[in-house]
Amino acid sequence: MSTLVYMKLLEQTPEKYDRGMRLLTLGRIDRIKEEIANRWIEPGQAVLEIGCGTGRLSARMAARGARVVAIDVSEPMLALARVTAPGVELHHMTAVEIGDLGAERFDRIVATLSLSELSEAEVNHVVRAAASLLRPGGRLVVADEVPAARWWGRPLAALVRVPLAALTFLLTQNTTHALKGLAARLEAAGLHLVHREDHLLGTLALVVAEKR
Amino acid sequence: MMWNLLKDTWLLFGRLFPLPTRPGLRAVGNPDLSSPVLVTGNFELTVRKVIATLRRERIDAWLLVAPTRGINVWCAAGGGHFTTDTVVSILRTSGIEERVDHRHLILPQLAANGVNVWKLKERSGWRPRFGPVDIRHLAAYLASGRKQTERAQRRVRFPPADRLVMGTNLGFNSALLLAIPLGVASIWLPGLWWRTLPLLFALSVLASLLAFWLPGKPGVQKGVALGVLVAAPFVFLSQTAMAMAPWTTVGWTAWILLLATYTGYDLPSWSPLWRQEVKELVFGVKQTRIEVVAERCIGCHLCDIVCPAGVFAFDEASHKYAVADLDACLACGACIENCPTDAIDNNFRGGICSCPTCALIDGARALTGKRTSRPAPAIELVPIDTECRGEGCACEEEDAVSRPS
Repeated sequence: MSTLVYMKLLEQTPEKYDRGMRLLTLGRIDRIKEEIANRWIEPGQAVLEIGCGTGRLSARMAARGARVVAIDVSEPMLALARVTAPGVELHHMTAVEIGDLGAERFDRIVATLSLSELSEAEVNHVVRAAASLLRPGGRLVVADEVPAARWWGRPLAALVRVPLAALTFLLTQNTTHALKGLAARLEAAGLHLVHREDHLLGTLALVVAEKR
Repeated sequence: MMWNLLKDTWLLFGRLFPLPTRPGLRAVGNPDLSSPVLVTGNFELTVRKVIATLRRERIDAWLLVAPTRGINVWCAAGGGHFTTDTVVSILRTSGIEERVDHRHLILPQLAANGVNVWKLKERSGWRPRFGPVDIRHLAAYLASGRKQTERAQRRVRFPPADRLVMGTNLGFNSALLLAIPLGVASIWLPGLWWRTLPLLFALSVLASLLAFWLPGKPGVQKGVALGVLVAAPFVFLSQTAMAMAPWTTVGWTAWILLLATYTGYDLPSWSPLWRQEVKELVFGVKQTRIEVVAERCIGCHLCDIVCPAGVFAFDEASHKYAVADLDACLACGACIENCPTDAIDNNFRGGICSCPTCALIDGARALTGKRTSRPAPAIELVPIDTECRGEGCACEEEDAVSRPS
């Protein structure tokens, strides 16, 4: 029976992903995506989304008039994105392969809750590749889970986060991981921080970095 | 040393839970530009074992530790964490391309249910080959000039030592799952908790150790057989040496039979694709029924190369494969993943790995998406021989497995 229980409990579907992320971030991720599309994307810009998932942000950016290219590693997610974001150019590839898309061709590169899915070496590689994919003056926009900025914030954040993550996992079989040293990694790749805002006790950050 | 002992103790019980080590490139011995490049997953125990074996055999090699979320090779591949994408990623991020002057990649054979060598070759420019199942056979494989692994070394054997560890882990998992409900039940039935958990653990170890000898089909049938095997001496002892009250004996006998049946039912869960369904586990009806579609088979040998159970047989006359031993099939899906012409059919209806490790993160989705039928690629393939024919054999050719005609 243990197998049957685990099987039913752990069945993941792309449909459940959005619901899980919304619950885990207490609805913030939707607002952040809204803000990315409205504040950080201009009509006519060439945009790359890394890890588009179900394609909701890509669709919103395309609706704003941006020319959007989106990649994801999961075929089932892309199948859903094809429906959600019909005007978007979708590619099935890993984040570390974005360098194959060309050089200096995007005005904006967006990654929400996707870099934290990668290993440390992968994150560094992707950030460097993103830097060379951006045109001068282009910006990398990252929204992801990060460790709380202040030491006193960590136990407090854990207090909220642990039951919330458990509940989210039970209901939707999804979770996230914290991305460490994001700002330093961006700087190391030659990108300059132009904006940062923290949500949920500093555990969810929106970071915008520019290539000069 | 102490730390490793602690880890090993944990692995005796919690092997199904991830134990990650840092992914990346490891130089074992003094590798140079021409040294072999191996890939493995970032399960701590695996990496430690591989490195120790290479050192013992004095093999200088580059070891790529792929980010498989701390899960062992076979489970990670079955659960969608050791895939073509994972290997592409480690090739790109590890810097290996600057360390060697060749592009030969040796993959663990048990990664074949997640890694598609055709796609990997196309996407990475490397020439991947599956090495032996067990790292201990790597030296022989390398000595043979990276020719195809000996038939015997491509089989998964489940020796008694491995089955013992499977048993302790199965027992640990079952006990973990039942600890709370049994604890609650102990309010009304005092003593149930601490008597049942060790019993369940012992039955799991026995079921695993005796798996091949118990009569009946895998699943409930073997469980019932185990129950009878354990209950019979218990009934005898309880009525003689222990002088137990008859009704207590009846109660415990029923409990032993129930737990043993449950253990038998749980045992096949080690396969990522074994269906946890009544039809299969009670009546032994195999729902993973693979077959080779003869019209599409091009005799490229890859199904046989990746199969850890020796299911396929080659017909020299037609130069095609057919399923020869369906009962041996472990339902791992390696042949389906790697067949270049999609010639292997199965009535999988989308399964998920039932071991908690594989399923924990997001195995289910990757797996269900992967096993559906793929369109056949529009390339003509040149068949290679499974066993090397020596001078002039196709396996010596660089692109033997995917050269367009």
